[in-house]
Amino acid sequence: MPKLLRLFAAGFSMSLRRTVTFRTNLFFDVALAVAGVLSALVTIVLVFTRTEHLAGWTKPEMFVLAGTFQLLTGLKAAFIDPNLAWFPGRGIREGTLDTYLLQPAPSLFLASFATAAPLALVQALLGLGVVGLGISIHGHPPGPLGIAAWLVLLVVGAAITWAPRLELDVFYGATWQLGRYPVDVYRRPLRLLLTYLIPLALIATLPAGALLREPDPAVMLASTAAGVGATLLATGVWRLGLRRYTGATS
Amino acid sequence: MNRALRLTALRVRRQFLDWSGGWWFTLTLVANEAIGPLVGLFVWSTVFPDDRRVISYFVALIAVQLMTASYENHTFSETVYQGTVSHELLKPQPVIVNPIGENLAIRIWMTLFGLPLTVLTGLGLGSSYRWPDLLLAIPALACAAILRFLFTWILALTAFWTERVHAVVTFGSVLISLLGGAAAPISLLPAPWRAIAVALPFHAMLGLPADIATGAVDGPAAAVALARGLAWILVFTALAVVVWRSGIRRYTAVGA
Repeated sequence: MPKLLRLFAAGFSMSLRRTVTFRTNLFFDVALAVAGVLSALVTIVLVFTRTEHLAGWTKPEMFVLAGTFQLLTGLKAAFIDPNLAWFPGRGIREGTLDTYLLQPAPSLFLASFATAAPLALVQALLGLGVVGLGISIHGHPPGPLGIAAWLVLLVVGAAITWAPRLELDVFYGATWQLGRYPVDVYRRPLRLLLTYLIPLALIATLPAGALLREPDPAVMLASTAAGVGATLLATGVWRLGLRRYTGATS
Repeated sequence: MNRALRLTALRVRRQFLDWSGGWWFTLTLVANEAIGPLVGLFVWSTVFPDDRRVISYFVALIAVQLMTASYENHTFSETVYQGTVSHELLKPQPVIVNPIGENLAIRIWMTLFGLPLTVLTGLGLGSSYRWPDLLLAIPALACAAILRFLFTWILALTAFWTERVHAVVTFGSVLISLLGGAAAPISLLPAPWRAIAVALPFHAMLGLPADIATGAVDGPAAAVALARGLAWILVFTALAVVVWRSGIRRYTAVGA
């Protein structure tokens, strides 16, 4: 495990140095992250000019939900997208996966975390700020249990985010956007789909709910089981895929 | 003029055939374009559960979004980064012919895939329109298609100055979403913002055809909005010419 952490740190450090070399690009990426978060907040403010509650969520609660969504989106953009976005095309069809298979480290780890987009962490930090803003307006600071449940559900959300990225790349980007609002705004068939089949509720709705209200033990248990299940499924599919993979380079 | 039109038609045909093999990717584009208005539909119909016009508006918005989508930052800007725009500069035809042709071909494919799905969504959710309003929305849709292309084209030309053209175009998309009627229908914006959004070009790029199709904007108001859209087309055309000339003076390529 320490070896994997060192590898992760080395990959992140390389990526960071590559990123800060181009300072003008840095400005654009930071400006875009700020614009994305501001646009999410403005949209919420617009919605709440017309209502007091959105599917049972007040404005400060929606800020917490939006912040949680931005936080996880930033983490996804920093660590998951740069590695797995190219994977089906270049990794398998062009055979660059060979490079990872020859290295003395788990191939799944290398394919998932070899590189990073450190600037996307700006979005995660802004998200954290929005969570703080929401909590301060809400007026009821969460207890230690709520914070612990929020963190656990964030980790589960990250696992859920990582696992389908390996398998269901095609509609991933579009589906992800459905997580930015409480799943209760969606109509019944879609709501059930987003809660149980593609558990996007774990990205923002459940963690934000756990932070703001008493965490429900049954939900925590089911969510953790879903996270573990998704991780095991992804690992199993990876192993099956590797058995089938023959390489494409000479 | 006829020659330019023939060249554009040829390019559309060629790109249409090129894209026929990538139907799975086209479906991805359709999903990505439709998701914003779809989320808006669910959010605003939660706020106004009894108002059918909200559903009709957002279903129309999905159709507009699909039929006006522009990807010049992926198509044209990449040729600047790779230096292959040099080939286009040597051809005896305006450089913009190919981007227009590719833009139209992609939009045709997205309409072919996306419109039936949009119609089914509209039928399933109970949206309804009047035929006169739909007919009146067609010129606004054409205006939106031209404006959206020109806007994206101008932003895509920043590839001559920066490597972050995708960030620039995404920022433009954020503006279209916020002030164009995707985040909220313009009629629901608070008073000062509504006037600002109507005056800016983003409403004409996205929300105006949907507003006309649902009857929210009609008669003289629709004519004024359309005239404003046409004025923005003139402004953007002039701006595109200036930015293109300036960009091409800056462009240098290395290699054979």
